[in-house]
Amino acid sequence: MHMTMRVKSTARQIRQSLLVICSLFFLLPSAAMPEESIGQNGLAIIVHKDTNVDNLSMTALRNIFLANQQFWPNRSRIILLVRAPQSDERDFVLNTIYQMDEAQFRKYWIAKMFRAEVPRGPKIVFSTGMTRDLVVAIPGSISFLRADQVTDDIKLLRIDGKLPSDEGYPLK
Amino acid sequence: MIVRPVLTSMLLLGATFLGAQAAYAQYSGAVASANLSDPQFNFMGFGDVSYLSRDGTSKDGFFVGQAVAHITASLGNSLSVFGEISATGKDSQYSVEVERMIVKYEFSDLFKFSAGRYHTPIGYWNSAFHHGAWLQTTTTRPEMVKFGSKIVPIHFVGVLMEGTMPGNPFGLSYHAGFGNGRHANVARAGDAGDINGDKAWMVQLRAAPDRYFGLEVGLGFYNDEIRPDDRPDIKENIVSAYAAWVRESPEVIIEYIHSSHELLSDSSVSGDVDAWYAQFAYRLKDDLRQWKPYVRLEKTDVDSTDPLLFDQGLDYEASVLGVRWDFNPYAALKAEYRNEEFDNAGRENNFRLQVSFVLTKL
Repeated sequence: MHMTMRVKSTARQIRQSLLVICSLFFLLPSAAMPEESIGQNGLAIIVHKDTNVDNLSMTALRNIFLANQQFWPNRSRIILLVRAPQSDERDFVLNTIYQMDEAQFRKYWIAKMFRAEVPRGPKIVFSTGMTRDLVVAIPGSISFLRADQVTDDIKLLRIDGKLPSDEGYPLK
Repeated sequence: MIVRPVLTSMLLLGATFLGAQAAYAQYSGAVASANLSDPQFNFMGFGDVSYLSRDGTSKDGFFVGQAVAHITASLGNSLSVFGEISATGKDSQYSVEVERMIVKYEFSDLFKFSAGRYHTPIGYWNSAFHHGAWLQTTTTRPEMVKFGSKIVPIHFVGVLMEGTMPGNPFGLSYHAGFGNGRHANVARAGDAGDINGDKAWMVQLRAAPDRYFGLEVGLGFYNDEIRPDDRPDIKENIVSAYAAWVRESPEVIIEYIHSSHELLSDSSVSGDVDAWYAQFAYRLKDDLRQWKPYVRLEKTDVDSTDPLLFDQGLDYEASVLGVRWDFNPYAALKAEYRNEEFDNAGRENNFRLQVSFVLTKL
C-alpha cells in the first residue's frame, strides 16, 4: 500500500516537472529575446576580421556559397560555415542565395564532392554563438547571422554596396 | 509542494545546458584547432542493387551494382588527394579497380593543377555522375558513356589543369588535360604508360551563367593516336557538346558526341561516330516532391567505314521511361522501362527496379 502511494507520488512529481519544463520552453523565447524576422532586419554576411574584402556582389556571394569561388583575392582559402537544418537563417540562405530546398542543397554538395571539385562540404554550425566564435577563430571563414546579432569582433560585408540597414539590401 | 518539481526541472535543465556547453566547447575547439593546417579526411560511398527482367535470352534477375568508395584528404590550404575505388560484380567474382586517384594543388580559382587518373572531361555525364547511381536520375548511364564504352574514353591518366574565372557573368570554367590516352584494349585507359609515343590531349570549356542559374553548357575536344590490339594505328578526334538544366523541375540534359577515326597509314580509310541522348525529368511539387518521372531518348550511329569501331556492334537506339522515388534523403528507388535495339538486331524490352544510396555525412 505504502509502496503504491510512493510510486504515485513520484509519477506526479515527474508530470509536474515536465509541465514546468514545457512552460519554460514556451515562455523563455518570448520573454528573453524578442527576435524580429530576418526579412525585417536582413541577413548579415560576416567574415573573419582579417579578410581583405569589404563588399561582394550578389553574384560573387552566390559563387562563394556554391564553392565555385574557393579562394579570397589574397589566395587564402574560403571556409564556408552553414547553419544546421531547421534554423531560420539556413532556410533564408537556401531560399535566397542557393535557391534550393534541403534535398537539392544536400545533393548539390554530394555531387560537388563526387566530382572532386571540393575536398569537403561546408562546415556545419549549430547556433548563433558558435557561428560567431568560429568566424572569429578561423581565418578565411565566411558565414551569416541575423543583422541584429553582429558583434564588433567579426567583419560585416556589404552586399552590392549595401549594409543590412540600407534601403534595398538584397538579403532582406 | 511545487518546490520539488521546480528544483527537479532546474536540475534537468542545468544538466542539459552543461552537456550542450561541453559538446559545443569540444566541437568549437576541434574545428578551431584543426584550422585546415592538419590533414582532414572525408569519406563517401555509393552503391545500388537492381532487379532486371527482359526479353530474349540475355541474363536477368538481381544485380549488385558497383560499390564505390571515395576518400578525400585535405593536406593543407592548397593540396588535396582524392581516391575512388570500385568493386563491380562479374560472373563469378568481383573486380576491384582504382577508378580515380588525383593529387591536386590549387594555386587559385583560376589555376588548379593535378596529376593522376580521372574521369575524362568529355561531355557532361561522364564527369557529373559516373559511378554515383544515386546521383543520376535514371538507373543506368546512357549507352555512349556506359562502363567500358569504346565510343568515349571513360578514363585517362595524366595531368589536368582546371579553373574557374571568378567575377565573370558567364561562369566560365575550363579543363585542359594531357595524358596517356587509350590502351590497346580501347575500352581501357593506358594505366601503365602510353601505348605509343603520341599522348592524348583534351580541352573543355564550360559556362554556367549566373543569370540563368541552373544552366550549364559545355564544349570539348579530345585528340589521340590509338594503337588497338588488332588493327593499325588510328587517329581519333572527338568533339563533344552539352547543355544541362539541373534545377529538377524540370531537369534537361542533352549531350552530343561526334568522333572521327582515320587510319594513320591511309587517310582515305576513315569514318565517324555520332552519338547523343536527351533526358527530360520533372520533380513533382509539394506532397509529391519525392517523385520524379523521367524519359530519355538515345541514339548511336557508327559509320560502316569507321576503321576503329565498324565491327563492334555499337549502333544503338533506346527509349527510356521511368520514375524515381526519393523515399529517404540518402536513398532512392527507381522503376524503369526500356525499349532498345542493339546493332540493328531488333528491338527488345526490359524493366529494371533499382535501389541506390549514398553514404556521406552532410
